[in-house]
Amino acid sequence: MKQIKLKRILYSDTTWAFVLLLPNFLGFLIFLIIPMIISFGMSFVSWDLFGPVRWVGFDNYIELFLEDQVFRRVFWNTMYFTAVTVPIGIVLSLFLALAMDQKIIGIKFFRIAYFMPVISSMIAVAIVWQWIYNPEFGLLNYFLGLIGIEGPSWLSDVFWAMPAIIVVSIWQGLGFNMLLFLAGLQGISEVYYEAAEVDGAGWFEKFWNITIPLLAPTTFFVMVMAAIGAFQAFDAVYLMTAGGPARATSVLAHYLYQNAFQYFRMGYASALAYVLFFIVLIFTLIQLRRQRSWLL
Amino acid sequence: MAILKGNKLVLGIVVAVIVLGLVLGGITLTRPPAEPEDIAAKPVAEDPAEEPAEEEEAAAAAVTLHFVGWEASPLETESIRKGLDAFMTQNPNITVEYTPVPHAEYETKLITSMAGGAGADVFFVGAELYRSLQLKGQLLDITEYFEAEFELDYFIPSAVSIMLINDRIYGVSSSTVSPILFYNRDIFDKAGLPYPPKNPDEAWTWDEFVEIAKQLTIVEAGETTQFGVFGLENPAWPYMKIAMFLSNEGNVFNEDFTRTTLNTPEVKEVLQSVFDLREKYGVSPEALLLEQLGMSPSHMLQTGRVAMLIDGSWALQQLAQMDFPVGIGVLPKFDSAVTHGQAHLHSAWIDTPNPYEAWKLISFLSSEEYQLDLIHSGLWMPNRTALYTEEGIARWFNPDVHPEGFMDVVPFIRDAIAYPPAFNVRPAAMDIIAEELGAFFDGGKPLNETLADIEIRVNEELAREQ
Repeated sequence: MKQIKLKRILYSDTTWAFVLLLPNFLGFLIFLIIPMIISFGMSFVSWDLFGPVRWVGFDNYIELFLEDQVFRRVFWNTMYFTAVTVPIGIVLSLFLALAMDQKIIGIKFFRIAYFMPVISSMIAVAIVWQWIYNPEFGLLNYFLGLIGIEGPSWLSDVFWAMPAIIVVSIWQGLGFNMLLFLAGLQGISEVYYEAAEVDGAGWFEKFWNITIPLLAPTTFFVMVMAAIGAFQAFDAVYLMTAGGPARATSVLAHYLYQNAFQYFRMGYASALAYVLFFIVLIFTLIQLRRQRSWLL
Repeated sequence: MAILKGNKLVLGIVVAVIVLGLVLGGITLTRPPAEPEDIAAKPVAEDPAEEPAEEEEAAAAAVTLHFVGWEASPLETESIRKGLDAFMTQNPNITVEYTPVPHAEYETKLITSMAGGAGADVFFVGAELYRSLQLKGQLLDITEYFEAEFELDYFIPSAVSIMLINDRIYGVSSSTVSPILFYNRDIFDKAGLPYPPKNPDEAWTWDEFVEIAKQLTIVEAGETTQFGVFGLENPAWPYMKIAMFLSNEGNVFNEDFTRTTLNTPEVKEVLQSVFDLREKYGVSPEALLLEQLGMSPSHMLQTGRVAMLIDGSWALQQLAQMDFPVGIGVLPKFDSAVTHGQAHLHSAWIDTPNPYEAWKLISFLSSEEYQLDLIHSGLWMPNRTALYTEEGIARWFNPDVHPEGFMDVVPFIRDAIAYPPAFNVRPAAMDIIAEELGAFFDGGKPLNETLADIEIRVNEELAREQ
């Protein structure tokens, strides 16, 4: 009787599904869930990695919201970055996907070309773009010079540094979003377009009344992912401007890094991390609600 | 349902066993790598038949030291490796494993490795990090070792005051470096102007300096092809400007480093004067613009983009390798002709298992044998009083590197004031200063407002409970 039971367990798909999922789950637990719980606890303490851990209650959060001017600055910088990067990135990648959704020779080459930035090392990307932005020898100012515009020193100008970072971020994320849209586009049945053509619909009408609504689930997914990515932006900032000039490009993740690994204020950095977490959470919940009204 | 329950139970057990297995496995797995290292460190211990006495001694004392530093220049790394080879030859029982870490990540890596219980035995500590690391209890007190071999008087005053924390020593100064004035002699000759003074007593006043800078600025067709001076402005790094604050009786912090003293007329005068170099007189290029040229300041001087350069004395190493006549002089003065001095220290980790061997390495790194090479190349200046006497200077003076008249500038560096930020233990304070100065130099923020904000924000940071 027992043997049969064991056999049943060994032959059960559920058992094997769990066993095979285990390594992934353990990794998730050890490297994500447990650190997340610990860092939540840490957001209520003051700790410099070495000294005693001092319980400070909500002091970190109070300092963040009421006292820290830099936090206010980086918060708005993050909002600015996200508010520009996400919509422009989505519109551009949708049009790119439409362009790449053609059955012409060599289309695969273009798809790969547009996807390249996604898999390129950010270090290399940052160095190339720094040269493009170089005020004296850079390509950008060279081309601007040809049409008689004297370009600013992009990365070191308080006003222009953020737009410069945004352009790089959009450019780098374009390929990934394009790929998602492409998959979405190819999932739309030709039947709808044919029917619309029979009814005499033009390109724009088809796009507006068929493509856009049927792409909504993809658009939603892209939007949520892009927004989460934008809120967490770090590498482009860290590598290209280090948050400067005068904190003009410092975003939440960068300020968090500075507090944790330059000022060694682990508790404060954890509080920042949770503020960032809740911003992303709230934003995603709003999106979820909107999605329901979209799709139904 | 019953089956499902049983399933869950068995699954629970499977999970528990695997987790336990992994955890225990992980623990045992971490141990083996220690073995080969032990064997490598005691190569002859396994064969006791041959020369047992000597082997026993070698085996008993065989020690591996982990040493971490950053790379200021390829030459520095080369000198370090050469020095370590000499050290290991002198101490056959000590193996030093050297790991250079990029400067930008150095502090983060050093501190996190210590927090993780894997700190290096001996390491570079930047003067600005030294006190905060000591405060975190990570530096080995080497006062006894130090006193057995050295006297404080051996070192120049700025090095001594940086080394001493409450009369104890946690690191030995490596050398000293100071802001100094470099110039391209060809440009001065062409303009028929006198070279900048080398003797601090004859230092140019700020107005004289500006006058010369104006004469050295060349504008062709509305574009400046040659700037009079470069180097003071860089807002991200107040290092050079601090020398000018000190010259005008200003300072960054008060005496006990509890408040900033930047919001004073003395400092304000200096900042306005530096700003005017670019904005009012047009004799200095926009700092950030030139920074992005892909040119080092030395290249600007070499190619004649600038006639005078205010830079750290370490630049001499690079300048000497460029093919143009380099000149050196003292900084212009507001009130008194002064510069500041500091350099990294060599320290041992509080938890090093081999404090004695770690000290031996620090002692070697503090020896003339090791330092002279780097001083000879122009990268470092000596931190020993004995190397500032006439005979002392003769031991490191290098006519291929040190420009004509360099001897006259030497006392200026010897008498440097200890770099004030070396005594500050809040790195965020310096970041606030850099940020605000950036807003002033590049963001159009009025100076009064900038200094008022610096005062409020830095004082808040300094007063904040750690």
